[in-house]
Amino acid sequence: MRRQRWFATVYMFVVMMAFSSVVIGLARYTDERVEANQALAFERAVVRVLPGVYEEGLSGLEIHRRFVEQVDEPTEATAGAYSHKSNGVVQTYALPFEGQGFWATIKGIIGIKADRETVTAISFYEQNETPGLGARITEPEFRDQFEGKVLAADGKTLTFRRPGETLTPSQVHAVTGATQTSVRLEKIVNDAVAQWREQLSGESRP
Amino acid sequence: MNGMGKPKPIKALMVDGLWDNNPIFQQVLGICSTLAVTNLVLNTVVMCAGLVFTLSLSALSVSILRSLTPRNVRMMVETLIIAFYVIIVDIMLKAYWPAMSDNLGPYVGLIITNCIVMGRCEACANSNPPLKAMVDGCFNALGYSFILLIIAVFREVMGMGTFLGLDVPYFSTHWDKWIIMVMPPGAFFMLAVVIWVMRSIQMGREAKQKNSAAGGKQEKSQ
Repeated sequence: MRRQRWFATVYMFVVMMAFSSVVIGLARYTDERVEANQALAFERAVVRVLPGVYEEGLSGLEIHRRFVEQVDEPTEATAGAYSHKSNGVVQTYALPFEGQGFWATIKGIIGIKADRETVTAISFYEQNETPGLGARITEPEFRDQFEGKVLAADGKTLTFRRPGETLTPSQVHAVTGATQTSVRLEKIVNDAVAQWREQLSGESRP
Repeated sequence: MNGMGKPKPIKALMVDGLWDNNPIFQQVLGICSTLAVTNLVLNTVVMCAGLVFTLSLSALSVSILRSLTPRNVRMMVETLIIAFYVIIVDIMLKAYWPAMSDNLGPYVGLIITNCIVMGRCEACANSNPPLKAMVDGCFNALGYSFILLIIAVFREVMGMGTFLGLDVPYFSTHWDKWIIMVMPPGAFFMLAVVIWVMRSIQMGREAKQKNSAAGGKQEKSQ
């Protein structure tokens, strides 16, 4: 059977409409869930850097409850950082940072004690680095190094050194085999901390 | 299996996909993802499951629509169908397994560009009934998967000393981890070794078959 010339166009249009409709329907059906997952990933990252608030093995619901009850939203006084207070006094800041990684944007949180110098932890809620290489920044082996580190007063607040090198209190080891991710993450974290400190010193000026 | 010769039985299609015409070590297709996702076994398993789902159902859909689809737009339709199933995998991972979705990053979306999927749609699904097309797609994806898993197991164990994220005795403690195995060059080395071993096995089998066939002929002539 010889088909009319317009058949291919109409056929393509109908097939596209049919498949697109299913995809749009499924995306709408899961939309709320995807958004909730993204929100929970952020809340988990914030809570994770707050000592006394986070514990291993908490359910998603419990993480959300603790975030709502124990974490204060950013204010001018905290220069954009989330905070955890005890008796009205800030115990820990949770400073969000983001910037271009090797493949895509890396978004995370760095926890800093009320002394504004001691790091409590680092966590990530969005990254698309190479699985098994750059993506290892999310693994405890890398993250755990940050606990107790001291932000240097000037220059680079935190420096990433080659694996195996001896470290000072302001240095951590980079991820083996992921030089680009490490270099970019170092810059992202340092820029965010420097900007935060600048804003805080501006706030505290008369 | 191009629809030109004698149609193959379903069992032959299965053996073809898994071994005789294996997409990785015989056709050397889909190498990008073979190199990219095989540094962790869990990522590889999920990637392979995504490909089995996409390839089986893409082949089935292409085959069902084959008599309606005009020749001049068939590749556009195939791409659309493949993208449709890949997006479904992506949405499901984002909604129900966000951690894995984060781990795999852009690679799930890149199934669309996997040569094996389009290759099987063009070579088989376009000219065969739905069941055969689906079996062909499924077993090609399984053939791809088992090679990827072999590569992934070696890379993760030798590179990180773990298997599915769990410490492997000796490799996690005494083994001096070969970091290069989890880096891109390690994937090239492993892929070359696997292709070499598999093809050697295949050549051995073929030589054996030839010998037995030649022996049979000699017996007959006597």
